[in-house]
Amino acid sequence: MAKEKYDPYKGFRELTGMWEKQMNSLLLSWSDNTDYIKLSNVGLQTHTRYLEMIKRNQEIMANFMNMPTKTDVKNVAKLTIQAEEKIDALEEQIWNLQDSFAAINKENMEFFGELVALSKQMKEELDNNVKELREAKKVKSDLQKLRKELSDTNELKAELQELRRELTEANGLKLELQELKQELVQFKEVKNQEPVQEKKEFELAGAGTSK
Amino acid sequence: MAVESPVKIPALDYEKEMKRWNQVYKILTEDAPKIEHSPREMVWRKNKTTLWHYPAKEKKYSTPLFFVYSLLNKPYILDISPDTSVIAGLTKRGYDVYLLDWGNPGYEDDDISFDSYILDYLEKGVKRALRHSGAEDISVVGYCLGGTIASIFASITDLPIKNLIVATVPIDYSVGVAPEKWLEGLQNGTVSVDRWVDVYGTIPPALVEAMFRTLAPINVSPYVGLLSRAHDSRYVDKWRRMDKWLNDSAPFAGAALKQMFNDLMKDNKLVKGELVIGGRKADLSNIKCSFFAVSSANDGLIAEGQSLPVMELVSSEDKTYKVVEAGHVSLALSGLFAPIVDEWLSTRSDLA
Repeated sequence: MAKEKYDPYKGFRELTGMWEKQMNSLLLSWSDNTDYIKLSNVGLQTHTRYLEMIKRNQEIMANFMNMPTKTDVKNVAKLTIQAEEKIDALEEQIWNLQDSFAAINKENMEFFGELVALSKQMKEELDNNVKELREAKKVKSDLQKLRKELSDTNELKAELQELRRELTEANGLKLELQELKQELVQFKEVKNQEPVQEKKEFELAGAGTSK
Repeated sequence: MAVESPVKIPALDYEKEMKRWNQVYKILTEDAPKIEHSPREMVWRKNKTTLWHYPAKEKKYSTPLFFVYSLLNKPYILDISPDTSVIAGLTKRGYDVYLLDWGNPGYEDDDISFDSYILDYLEKGVKRALRHSGAEDISVVGYCLGGTIASIFASITDLPIKNLIVATVPIDYSVGVAPEKWLEGLQNGTVSVDRWVDVYGTIPPALVEAMFRTLAPINVSPYVGLLSRAHDSRYVDKWRRMDKWLNDSAPFAGAALKQMFNDLMKDNKLVKGELVIGGRKADLSNIKCSFFAVSSANDGLIAEGQSLPVMELVSSEDKTYKVVEAGHVSLALSGLFAPIVDEWLSTRSDLA
């Protein structure tokens, strides 16, 4: 069990707090009247006039002694502040310029981006075209080959036609030969008949001569 | 024979007391802790303003986050320690984070008005972040017065703002945590700060702190709180970081302060839709992107009533309002803001 200790300050603090509060309230209530306010204002104005007089005299004395006063230092300080303000204004203008440049750069970058995309697209298309061209060449060579084959075929056809013509001619010849053969047969037949006739005629002629 | 006392007084924890007073001694003698930032790189610098880029550990979303912090304090509260850093919390969750650090305006910056801050610094910074990230659109997160500036910017710019988040944002200056007569005095012209601002040019940090201090002149409770928890080294570390930040206000450019007092506090022009920035009317009804407003329930600087009207003023169809149990500073200091932002934003950011 914790042993209770004596704290002499606790009561003192509480009493002081109450006393302070009451004293402040008392002082404020005493001063919370128009007369006090007026008197304070008189005191304030007197104090002000006194300070004004000191300052005026200080300026006069400093002027005699050719010494700078607080007002002179103030004026110099103001020049520094003005210079600082000008630098600030310049800095803001630089910002604006930077922003403009950044915006232009952004636009340029977008434009370049578009250009790059376009170039890529063109390259792709070029590749495609090359590929297509290669294929076209291949097709062309195939075609040429085909054409050659076709021309060969045509030649063959022509040869065939010639052959056919020759064949036809051969057929004609065959016919002629057949005709010739026929004629030969006929001629043979005729020839075969002729010796009999000639014999007959000879016989006939022989008979005549013998007389 | 010893007489036993009827009242039991617990014994002092001497070990704890030794630790407490050692820590107190350290705080009194050591330098304030050095704030180490999450890994970041400078994207742009103009005058005193720097645009930082905190890359995502593992990028999950392509929509980057652009933080706009108040002009009154320094933005390292968003990255105050590795454990509780809002920015580191978001980079771990996969967001690329940009932070516009207004820097410390000098005497020469007295003429920087809300117009200059919004058009010459914020708009240009968002442009640079968009250019640097290469994203098409961006989520803008405004904290405290940075929320007011982010809302004004979102209402007039043509840049692609996908989501707008505002936290502990003062929009309606007709209400506030300051006493009623003070506001009345400002609004009816009984008090005028114009001449006082002019004589200073740029209001030094000590006077900015004094302005805050007028709302709570007595401020001893943080020190008593520290003493009472000084034995807790984690608390002490957190306290020291917060203390360093609280005592490290930024100078305020005179023209912007006059505009804040006159246009916002006195005339409440933002709520009325009458505020003109660089010739453009800063009408919050022009805000149509997804909108998220966060208020702190225990905010001692910005009353909820100052933030709530923004929900009616913006035209966004997708708008969310959330009240968180935290204080004005602790929302960022505890790192609680990172999961809140992530929960809402994760579904509204484009995936990488």
